[in-house]
Amino acid sequence: MAEPVLELVDVRYRYPTGPEALRGLTLSVAPGERVGLVGPNGAGKSTLLLALAGFVPAEGLIRVAGHTLTRGTARDVRRHLGLVFQDADDQLFMPRVIDDIAFGPVTMGLALEEVQVRVHEALHAVDLEGYETRAPYHLSVGEKRRAALATVLAMRPQILALDEPSANLDPRGRRRLIQLLAGLSSTLLVVGHDLDLILEVCQRTVVIDAGRVAADGPSAEILGNRELLESHGLELPLGLAARM
Amino acid sequence: MHHIMLDQFAAGKTAVHRLDPAGKTVATLAVILGTVLVGRDHFLPLVPLAVALAAYHAAGRTPLPYTLKRLLVVSPFALAVVVLFPILEPGRPVWTFGLGPWTVNVTEEGLVRAGHLAAKFLLSAWATLLLLATTRFQDVLQGLARLRVPRAFVVQLAFLYRYLWILMDEVMRMRQARAARDGGLGPWRVRFQSGVGVLGVLFLRTYDRAERIYWAMAARGFDGRLHAPIQSRMQGKDWLFVAGAVALGCAAVGLDRALYG
Repeated sequence: MAEPVLELVDVRYRYPTGPEALRGLTLSVAPGERVGLVGPNGAGKSTLLLALAGFVPAEGLIRVAGHTLTRGTARDVRRHLGLVFQDADDQLFMPRVIDDIAFGPVTMGLALEEVQVRVHEALHAVDLEGYETRAPYHLSVGEKRRAALATVLAMRPQILALDEPSANLDPRGRRRLIQLLAGLSSTLLVVGHDLDLILEVCQRTVVIDAGRVAADGPSAEILGNRELLESHGLELPLGLAARM
Repeated sequence: MHHIMLDQFAAGKTAVHRLDPAGKTVATLAVILGTVLVGRDHFLPLVPLAVALAAYHAAGRTPLPYTLKRLLVVSPFALAVVVLFPILEPGRPVWTFGLGPWTVNVTEEGLVRAGHLAAKFLLSAWATLLLLATTRFQDVLQGLARLRVPRAFVVQLAFLYRYLWILMDEVMRMRQARAARDGGLGPWRVRFQSGVGVLGVLFLRTYDRAERIYWAMAARGFDGRLHAPIQSRMQGKDWLFVAGAVALGCAAVGLDRALYG
């Protein structure tokens, strides 16, 4: 079996002011795998994404693309981990879309020509060509979400980690996002409550509850198990519920 | 929500739009400095500056209502000072009126001083507005960075520009949520308290957002500098433009000294 691109062993984290968010989470993801991370609110899903990038100092082993996460290696780890935050307004902090997408490649120290190639490639991937000089503030929610994804795609990370990618999207925007995600070749981690999206995009689903892995298996199997889902505050995806 | 952006006409294609942003920033500063250095109550040396700004205004095809509206928006700051001069400045009274137990004299010297101050303010504000009307804000920021303006200041401005509207939207939504429940009525003490609450929540949300933005930046390798991929360079025409603006500023001051000693 190929070396895992993401490896977590007994990862723990307690917020300074609150409960233990991650309680010994262990998970391994192979290159190219698409994994949906589902679970009730407060299960630790978003905290896990922050821990992967070293934004919260978790205990245990976190290895991303061969780099073991420590305080000193956090920058290297982030080069390989494309984190897309839930609120696109947090992700898009530059005055123009083009500057935002170029931000990652430029901070990576790439040459101007290469930056331009990557920016156009990312814009093309998310179908936002012609939006280069637009101000992020004036984009629709769906466009912002796609632009936020482009900012990370331009860095060509080995792993893409998306937090609630379909939140607040209208059905057409959501459909576009699903098609976009389905067409990507990188390893994908999708955190969220949109189980239908996860069913369509990810072949594997991990249920996280109370800071640890509660179930792990093929999406069709996990997301088709009504009892399992209900015991973790979830419901069958509408697509499957309709068939049952 | 869509707000009118400061630089809504900055995407134009005229010759002045194409000038280098750093050059335009220096030119604007030169004109403002020239305006400020003209001696008090001297109107004539301000005329060449006004003519030059009018020419730039026309060259940039900036709509007049845009400039007038924005001048109006910024004028209250100066207006507060300007209206006090006619009554505070001693001199020959041109109009006297009673205000309760006091007698107020509007003096000729005061009116001249107020007019002069208003003229200087309008010219300075006009120059700044024209810079923003013909240069995209991010280009102005890039220009400032190239002019070695401290990085913290430039980054701060960039974030202010990016997030100001989002914060305003957030305030508006919270106010609407409050109004939906109190109907905009209620005793002022309760309203004041809830207003303070809105401010407190806004502060906490802003703090949280700042943290999330930092994470989003650090996730993409932020090292304290805001890079932008396209760097313009000063060309012959830009140097000529800056030299012209500096000469204009100097000419205004020179004319002032020549006319009034």
